[in-house]
Amino acid sequence: MQPEKFYYDNKIVRNFGIATIIWGIVGMTVGLLIAIQLYHPAANMDSQYTTFGRIRPLHTNAVIFAFVGNCIFMGVYYSLQRLLKARMFSDVLSNIHFWGWQLIIVLAAITLPLGYTSSHEYAELEWPIDILITVIWVIFGVNMFGTIIKRRERHLYVAIWFYIATFVTIAVLHIVNSIEIPVSLTKSYMVYAGVQDALVQWWYGHNAVAFFLTTPYLGMMYYFLPKMANRPIYSYKLSILHFWALIFIYIWAGPHHLLYSTLPGWAQSLGVAFSIMLIAPSWGGMINGLLTLRGAWDKVRDDVILKFMVVGLTAYGMATFEGPMLSLKQVNGFAHFTDWIIAHVHVGAMGWNGFLTFAILYWIIPRIYKTELFSKKLASIHFWIGTLGILFYVIPIYWAGFTQSLMLKEFTPEGLLKYPNFLETTLRILPMYVMRSIGGTLYLGGVILMAYNLFKTMAQGSLVANEAAQAMPLEPFIKPEHEHSWHRVLERKPIQFMILALLVILIGSFIELMPTLTIKSNIPTIASVKPYTPLELQGRDLYIREGCLACHSQTVRPFRSETERYGEYSKAGEFVYDHPFLWGSKRIGPDLAREGGKYPNAWHYNHLMDPRLMSPGSIMPNYDWFLTQKLDTSLTAKKISVMRTIGVPYPAGYEKIANRDLDIQAKGIADDLAKNHIKVSSDKEVIAIIAYLQRLGTDIKADKSASNNQ
Amino acid sequence: MYSQFLDHLTGGQGYLISSLGIFFVFFIVVTVLLLRLKKTHVNYMSDMPLEDDNTSNPFKPLQS
Repeated sequence: MQPEKFYYDNKIVRNFGIATIIWGIVGMTVGLLIAIQLYHPAANMDSQYTTFGRIRPLHTNAVIFAFVGNCIFMGVYYSLQRLLKARMFSDVLSNIHFWGWQLIIVLAAITLPLGYTSSHEYAELEWPIDILITVIWVIFGVNMFGTIIKRRERHLYVAIWFYIATFVTIAVLHIVNSIEIPVSLTKSYMVYAGVQDALVQWWYGHNAVAFFLTTPYLGMMYYFLPKMANRPIYSYKLSILHFWALIFIYIWAGPHHLLYSTLPGWAQSLGVAFSIMLIAPSWGGMINGLLTLRGAWDKVRDDVILKFMVVGLTAYGMATFEGPMLSLKQVNGFAHFTDWIIAHVHVGAMGWNGFLTFAILYWIIPRIYKTELFSKKLASIHFWIGTLGILFYVIPIYWAGFTQSLMLKEFTPEGLLKYPNFLETTLRILPMYVMRSIGGTLYLGGVILMAYNLFKTMAQGSLVANEAAQAMPLEPFIKPEHEHSWHRVLERKPIQFMILALLVILIGSFIELMPTLTIKSNIPTIASVKPYTPLELQGRDLYIREGCLACHSQTVRPFRSETERYGEYSKAGEFVYDHPFLWGSKRIGPDLAREGGKYPNAWHYNHLMDPRLMSPGSIMPNYDWFLTQKLDTSLTAKKISVMRTIGVPYPAGYEKIANRDLDIQAKGIADDLAKNHIKVSSDKEVIAIIAYLQRLGTDIKADKSASNNQ
Repeated sequence: MYSQFLDHLTGGQGYLISSLGIFFVFFIVVTVLLLRLKKTHVNYMSDMPLEDDNTSNPFKPLQS
């Protein structure tokens, strides 16, 4: 049999590489902008389109799906072809995948600042873009499996298992978390409500970290680290255990994002138990990576790429130890909603994802351009300012988290909150926020240096768009008389492998999600909780549009420090009409679950116009556009109808008179403001947002005798 | 002792116990798979990334 000659497609690898660099700079620049807004709110340039709540999702989406996403595709397209000894299945699909993914990113960059958002964290994009993501993801999958099927290597290396698990799991997560009913092209409502929506969202959110930020990067580690160190992976057996244990356990751990919330207790405990178990496979992977360098540590001293890998793997080890610790209820009670979590995710994002991305870019670009890196010295400077940038970022922000949580929980000897004003704790940590933005600037500076270095490298070389290779074709497989290992069988059967991986992730998903989604008694209803009025519903949509939940939570945990500060702790039954839930995950400002009735309408009006009028020193931006923009009521009827189809009990035909009720309630608020010498017409957005804020948490106060139906 | 424990499970605790059971069985299966792997196969698989070796050393240009 003659060896077959074929060509690896390096052009698609290069394209994804360039996209990684460009979107990395964009995403991190937006991150820096919102970091500065936290101590200098005017850095929003007085524009609603560049205000924290709207562009915080732009930052997270850009770094996760644009920077990391493009790097994943670069690494997968490079390594998959070589591990399978085959060109990608279809150049057309590769190009549709590339340009489709960039289109999604551009649409995100346009729609998020415009306030078109589903409000689900890391899944904010509205339904038409969700559909586009699904199509492009399927194209990626077809291209990957097409390549696997026409391969010239019978057995699939461990990196490819991670890619397969990434593909199937992200598909499942994305679809389940995007089931929403459209109201218009740019607006939809989640079918799930309240605690159910929260559970689905954090099952998704946690596993997006697992299967987008972790498994594809582990796959790339298993391919690129042996090549960079020029030695095989430390233990192939450990990699098998690592793979199956990781994908099996990760999927259960989502509820640790909802500890002390109204999620059923058993689901919280399940999330905690599996989070603790996660240390084992995570550290197994890290150790497997670091021990691959055994006997090669002298190389680490000279080779900047290995330096990036070692720091990246160490950051992975730190983040995956810290994660399980944060899921212990006592630690979580202290850390959740604070900057500790922001520090934790940035150790992972900047250290693990960022540094592995840089290492792989520095490794691939000179090779596909048939040249050497333009400047090793610049790469070395990048490594050091990147490392310092991470430290300058995370240390102040850890400190900020500890400080603020301690202050919020401190009582005087008389039993009163020592810092009853939330703002007092915010002002204390502003210097740490300034330090954090210096760290972010350093890190971004390093990335810009890398971009210069790599573009110079590209300029001095020439792209080998089609790299020649040859390999023997696969001979018909003759089954050995005694097959000794099931896993060996599995490694040459990709479709069965995918189905098995799918089953493994579905087991945990079903046990975790189904009871809360299907058993009614898990969410006790409260008789006095009623659907939102049309005006409140419109106000709620403004709250979603502005991304208020980026800074304000809406769930009071059962701690004395919270019930004293905010009021009665939250009950599951209070959220049954919340499509989507708006609990938030970070308190840059105070919780708003019991905001209704705390302040007069005039206070809210003035506070939204300029928060510093009512709370001197506040870091909340001015929402003066609420005062001038007219509320769009053209969709009220449609919104009511859609809400009814997903279970909100508006009476039949109510949509026809909804705008009449909306006007009556709006006039009432405008009249009340007029009594306080504030002249504003009742058709402005500010009226709707005030109506919503005044409703928050008031239902259970309305009828004290209303009790659980259990 | 176990039957008394199982009889007193309430609400979601059944899910917790079944999760533990699934977890336990899963790991036994993976461990058995690992023990049955042959050394020659393990070596073959772990050498895979190093096969296209003209690219193994950092900063060296590709051989044409």
